[in-house]
Amino acid sequence: MSMHGDHDWPDELDRALLALPLEEPPAGLRTSILMATAYRPAPAFSFWEVTSVGVLGAVGVWLLVLLALGGGQLFLHTLATIGAWAMQALSNWTVVVWLAAGGATALWLTLFTGSQPIALAANRSTGRDGR
Amino acid sequence: MPPIQVSAEPQDGDLVAMTLRGDPEAFATLVERYDRAVYHLAYRTLHDVEEARDATQEAFFKAFRGLRTFRPGSKFSTWIFAITYHACCDRLNRRKRYANEEFPEQADTAPGPEQQVIAFDDRVRLRAAIDALPEKYRTVITLYHLQGRQYEEIASVLGLPMGTVKTHLFRAKEQLRRLLGETEVRET
Repeated sequence: MSMHGDHDWPDELDRALLALPLEEPPAGLRTSILMATAYRPAPAFSFWEVTSVGVLGAVGVWLLVLLALGGGQLFLHTLATIGAWAMQALSNWTVVVWLAAGGATALWLTLFTGSQPIALAANRSTGRDGR
Repeated sequence: MPPIQVSAEPQDGDLVAMTLRGDPEAFATLVERYDRAVYHLAYRTLHDVEEARDATQEAFFKAFRGLRTFRPGSKFSTWIFAITYHACCDRLNRRKRYANEEFPEQADTAPGPEQQVIAFDDRVRLRAAIDALPEKYRTVITLYHLQGRQYEEIASVLGLPMGTVKTHLFRAKEQLRRLLGETEVRET
């Protein structure tokens, strides 16, 4: 087939262009895409689990330090002080409103940056056929 | 009476909706449908296997993360091609910034790919001719190859007016004919 002759006519060039095979993607590309998106392995722990474990760990360390420093009395005294401070803060409407606003903003942000669905795979090779 | 045949192939829009409802198989089907075309666009734009691979992955990753922003009723192919094209543009910009390398559009003026348009096979020759085009024409021709005569879709991907797309396409084809003609002459 003479390429020159064929491409003298726009339709021939169009046909040749549209019939041009797509580039062959490197092996494993589809798998790596799927592993990074739809089939991404679920994290071992959820955000709330990690947060809860962290908070419990911090409280445990704090308790141990207080017990080591001054025994149960110091621990109870510290707890009472914190409780009184919290009650005083929460009885102030301005503080409550600010806390509510912060919580609502955090919730709103998680709606846009929250986790994506996760799952399993399959393979098929198509190019333009799928459209 | 023969049973009515119902197409089992879900539309792209349905697959997006299914993915958003938590069905990962639906997104896998979208990847299967478009990974080759997306890679083709990336490779034709970047001319580098590794970079094209990374750009393809990046495009699908961004699409997956931003699936909620996909407008129902619009074409998934146009959307994913636009994401890919922008990912490629970012990479071309980075190349320019960090490696002091010029855009292919500018680099194409030097003798290079055009000289390589000496091939034995029509397809190879046509590919080489496309590679020898300036970047803006090459991208339009590649999208024309992927999307056919859907000028509006091509314009959406590139963010250009439809008239500009048509002009680029016309000039690209002209250059292709010239390049292919030169090859023919060289061979004889």
